[in-house]
Amino acid sequence: MDLSFLLLQLLTGLAYASTLFLLSVGLSLIFGAMGIVNFAHGSFYMLGAYLLFAFTRGQAEGFWAGLFLVLAAGLVVGALVERLLIRPIYPRPEEYQILLTYALLLILEDLVRLAFGAGYRSFPLPPLFSSPLFLLGAPFPSYYLFLLALAGLSALGLWAFLYRTRLGTWVRAATQDREMLEALGVNVPLLYTAIFALGIALAALGGAALVPLQAATPGMAVDAVINAFIVVVIGGLGSVWGALLGAVLIGLLQAFGILLLPEMAMVFPFALMALVLLLRPWGLLGRPPAVRT
Amino acid sequence: MRLGLLVLCLALLGPFLGEYGLKLLSEALILGLYAMAFNLLFHQAGLLSFGQAAFFGVGAYAMALLMARSGWSFLATLPLAFLLGGAAAFLVGFLSLRLTRIYFTMLTLAFAQLLYAVAHKWYAFTGGDNGITDLRPAGPWGESLPFYYLTLGLFGLLVGLLASLERSPFGYALRALRDNRARAEAVGLDGFRHLLLAFALAGAISGVAGALQGALQRSVFPDYLFWTRSAEAIISTILGGSGVFLGPAVGAAAFLFLRVLVQAQTEYWPFFLGLLLLLMVLFFPRGLAGVWARLGRGISLGVERGAPRG
Repeated sequence: MDLSFLLLQLLTGLAYASTLFLLSVGLSLIFGAMGIVNFAHGSFYMLGAYLLFAFTRGQAEGFWAGLFLVLAAGLVVGALVERLLIRPIYPRPEEYQILLTYALLLILEDLVRLAFGAGYRSFPLPPLFSSPLFLLGAPFPSYYLFLLALAGLSALGLWAFLYRTRLGTWVRAATQDREMLEALGVNVPLLYTAIFALGIALAALGGAALVPLQAATPGMAVDAVINAFIVVVIGGLGSVWGALLGAVLIGLLQAFGILLLPEMAMVFPFALMALVLLLRPWGLLGRPPAVRT
Repeated sequence: MRLGLLVLCLALLGPFLGEYGLKLLSEALILGLYAMAFNLLFHQAGLLSFGQAAFFGVGAYAMALLMARSGWSFLATLPLAFLLGGAAAFLVGFLSLRLTRIYFTMLTLAFAQLLYAVAHKWYAFTGGDNGITDLRPAGPWGESLPFYYLTLGLFGLLVGLLASLERSPFGYALRALRDNRARAEAVGLDGFRHLLLAFALAGAISGVAGALQGALQRSVFPDYLFWTRSAEAIISTILGGSGVFLGPAVGAAAFLFLRVLVQAQTEYWPFFLGLLLLLMVLFFPRGLAGVWARLGRGISLGVERGAPRG
C-alpha cells in the first residue's frame, strides 16, 4: 500500500462522505427543529436520483440544469409533503411519525419502480468532469472534486443561513422552544414547511449528485435512510456540524474499513453508531438533553 | 377467555383448511405472536423497540444452525430459540435501556442492524446471504397440519403467558413505569430491572416466532434480522390497535391476508401497504380495534337516536 493509494482511498471516502452529508443534514435539521423522525428521507434521495434522469432524459449535457431542477423539485415536493401529510401528525407520538414516513417510503419506492423500472440506471459523468485527474500518478475521477465542493459549499451556505440570517435564527430557536417563538409572532407552521422543504431538497440534490458515480435503484432508499440515521446519530440529532462530522467518519470508515477487513466493512458503521450511543447518546457534537423533573 | 375461544375455533378449523390455508394461518399466528411480544414492550412498558427483528432472527438462526449443522430435532430447538432470543435481548436490553425515547429506539435499531450485517457477511457460520436452506423438520412437524397445531399451541401458551402477565403485579409495574418512571421509582420500583425482564421476555418470544417462521419457510436468510422485519411488528401492532390485548395478532392476520389478496392482483404490494398505512395513521390511529369500536358506537348511537322516533 503506497502513499498515492492511501490518498486515493482518502479522497474516495471524502467523496462518499459528501453525498452522505447532503443526505443526512436535512434529516438532522428536520428532527432537530420539528422532532419528526423521517423514515422517508432516503426516498427523497432516491427520488432526486431518478428525477435527474427524468429532467435530462439521461443525457450528460443536461446535468447542470437537471441538478438545479432537482433542487427546485425537492423544495416543492418537500413543502407539499409537509403540508399535506406531516402537519396533521405533529401532536402524535413518535411511532405514528415513523409509521407515516415509512408508508411514504413504501409508496415512493413502488412509484419509482413503476415509472422507471426495477433495474439499475446509470448516468454518464458530466462533460466537464469526464476525464480523470492524476494524484501522484494514479488516476481518480475528477468528479470527486465536484462532490467535495458541492458538500463544502452546502455546509458553508447552511452555516451562513443558520447563523447569519434572521430566518436561520428562527430555525435554531425552533429547535429550542417552539412556544416562545410563536409568542414572538413568528409563523412557526410556515417555518416548519420551509425547514422540511429545505431538508428534502438537500437530500434530493445528494441523490442526484451521486448518480454519475453510482447507479440508481429503487432499493437505494432503504439503504440511504439507514446510512442517514447512522450519520445523524453519531454526529448528534439536530446538529449541522454533527452531520458533517458523522458523514466524514462513516465515509472514511467505509473507505479504509474495506481495506482492513473487507468482509466486515458493513458492520463497522453500525458498531460505531452503537458505541457512540452507549458512550455519548446525544452524539459527538449534539447537546445533552436538559434534565427534566 | 377470548384467547381460549380463539384458539379453540382455530383448532376446530384446522382439518377443514387446505395445505395452503394451513400455511397461511400458521404464518399469521407466527407474525401475531411476534407482534404480541413487541406490544408487551410497546403498549405496556411504553418502549418503542426498533430491533425486534434481532431476536426473531436469533431464534430463526438458532433453530436453523442446530438443525442443519448439529442434527438437533426441530422440537428440541424451540426451547433453545426461546432461551437464545431471551439471552440476546437481555444483552441488548442491558445496554439499550439506559437510554430513553428516540435514543433507545435508535440503539435497538443499531444492534439489530449490527447482527444483520454479521449474519450477512459471516459466510462460514451463517452461510451469508445464501442463508440456510432445505430445513425440513423430521417426523410429523414437516407436515402442514401438525405444524399448524404446534404453532397454535405455542401461540396459545405464550400469548396466555402475556395475558396473565398483563394482569399481574409485574404488568402493573410496567404500566406505572410507562406512565411516570420517576414517580414509579420513587415509590420503590426498580425500573431498570422490570424493563429488562420485559425486554428479555419479548426477545425470547420473538425468538420462538423466528424459529417457527424459519421452519415454515424451510429456510432462514439474513433478512430475518433486517430492520424492515422490525417494522412488520410495528405495522401489525398499529394496524390491529395496540391498546387492545389481541390487537397486534389481529393486525398481523389482516396484514398477511391483505398481502395475499393484493399480491394475487399486482406486484405493487408495498404501494398498497403504504397507502393503507398512510390512511390508517391519518384517519384511524387506533387501528382496526378503533374502527371496530367506532362502528360499534355508531350503531349503538343510531339505535339510541332511533328509539324515540320509533
